[in-house]
Amino acid sequence: MIAKKSAPSWKQWVFPCLVGVILLAYPWVLGTVYTNIFIYFAIFSVFAASLNMLVSYLGVLSFGHALFYGGGAYATALFLDHIEGLGLFTVILIGGAAGAALGLIVSPLLNRVKATAFALLTLALGQLAYMACLKLRFITYGEDGVGGFPIPDLTLPGIASINMMTAENFYYLAVVVLSLCLLLMWFLTKTPFGSIMIGIRDNPDRVDFLGFNLPMTKAIVFVISGFFAGIAGAVYALFQNLVTPDGAFHIMTSFTPIMMLFVGGIGTFAGPIVGSGVMTIIEELATRYTTQIALFNGILLVLVVMYFRTGFVGLYLLIREKLFQKESS
Amino acid sequence: MLLEVKNLNTFYGLSHVLQNISLTVDRGEIVALLGRNGMGKSTTLKSIMGLAKPRSGKVVYGGLNLAGKPPYKIAQAGLGFIPEDRRIFNNLTVLENLNMGAKNQGGNAGSTGQNRWNLERVFATFPWMKDRIAQSGQFLSGGEQQMLAIGRALMGNPELLLVDEPTEGLAPLIVKQVRDVLKEINQAGMTILLVEHNYKVATSLANRVYLMGKARIGFEGTVQELESKPDVKQDFLEV
Repeated sequence: MIAKKSAPSWKQWVFPCLVGVILLAYPWVLGTVYTNIFIYFAIFSVFAASLNMLVSYLGVLSFGHALFYGGGAYATALFLDHIEGLGLFTVILIGGAAGAALGLIVSPLLNRVKATAFALLTLALGQLAYMACLKLRFITYGEDGVGGFPIPDLTLPGIASINMMTAENFYYLAVVVLSLCLLLMWFLTKTPFGSIMIGIRDNPDRVDFLGFNLPMTKAIVFVISGFFAGIAGAVYALFQNLVTPDGAFHIMTSFTPIMMLFVGGIGTFAGPIVGSGVMTIIEELATRYTTQIALFNGILLVLVVMYFRTGFVGLYLLIREKLFQKESS
Repeated sequence: MLLEVKNLNTFYGLSHVLQNISLTVDRGEIVALLGRNGMGKSTTLKSIMGLAKPRSGKVVYGGLNLAGKPPYKIAQAGLGFIPEDRRIFNNLTVLENLNMGAKNQGGNAGSTGQNRWNLERVFATFPWMKDRIAQSGQFLSGGEQQMLAIGRALMGNPELLLVDEPTEGLAPLIVKQVRDVLKEINQAGMTILLVEHNYKVATSLANRVYLMGKARIGFEGTVQELESKPDVKQDFLEV
């Protein structure tokens, strides 16, 4: 124990620094196409991680997480469409706030149900948002979606104004905003509130009789999860400069992060990020040979569910354990 | 009188699992609820704690009727609960489990200074915990989990502790340890309502006992009174 503690501290900085250097150099080494792919990966990492708060920490499966993501995307797009001169970070936060507000609105409903009923209710709410989005043409422009809104520059008062219409610049913004989101979510799981969330997953009754207001605590988790999904949606809206019902609220938008979670590994913090990475890579490789990407995703999901339910993170932990045992024996 | 349960009726679906249960617990005593399996002992504790909703009757505690209130409100009023089965949060460490219990303060009005339960005092009672604060709950033995559940309940400084089958499934040596701990806590001032199937443990701890048979209370009295009535004992306890 003592030897471990006094180990040189620079070693633990090697990995983060390496990741930092790779992230910095990425767009210049790999070009625009791969930069855009990476932005997708980053957006879905945060979206899947926000879903992970419900699945891995609260122990409930949401089939309609696109509600928050799409809500964030539409809020950002509509605000930019209607109001001039909004700052970049302001609109991103508006997206997050929209997701959080939706979380708050649906929490009294979601608090009434558990397990399968929860999954179905979230599915219904997600589909409700999808239909509302198609029908409320005077707000959402229906199937056409909201597009062509101005993307604000990133202005650092008195220093610089950076154009966000180029892939490289937007890449850095997305990486910074989304890394910050992941860091905040990770930090949250380490706080006492994180313990309560894990406690609710383990046994909600137990948390209840220890004196925690269960519905209130769950509502807070829905709001936080909605906030981060909303931020992911906001970055998506800025990135695409177009938000449509299909992109924002379609049922596949809800299922994609679920698949990412399963593929990456439920019950871990890294799961959604790894899952998002794996699925992005597979999609990119598959598109070179066929348009039937869903086929590959489906096969992958079947393999994961059948043979390694702990996902890629679980697989990695298993391999590491095996290797470590060999070394020590 | 600290707790008074009056004519409590609870249903699981259509079955009437508690029928007009009445009992009282005075400050500082240990009251044991005995009876065969399936007679409603655990359900009585759950109904008091709000985990099973009573349909009628009163749970009067500190002048308030708590019947029908959600569990967290009942915990905040000053009741602590140690459940049976797997008792702790498996995916949290020993320290996190204890800290979860510490959220709810304000139950025990008189627990100031020396009488107040905190990490230090829990570690003094259970010295092994101090060395294993970072260990995950799932790697503790059954007895250790039970001790941790007791420690966690104490961290909330309840006035009254409801303890459900604390020695169930534990080795004889551990049973004795749990018994001694409960005795120690009681002597430090904690009131305990105990459900226990181990007759020896229960009667060695309790001041008064209630015997339950088929969803009703069949006998109430001191341990001595019960010992002097072998027919009652046979009716309610012997299989």
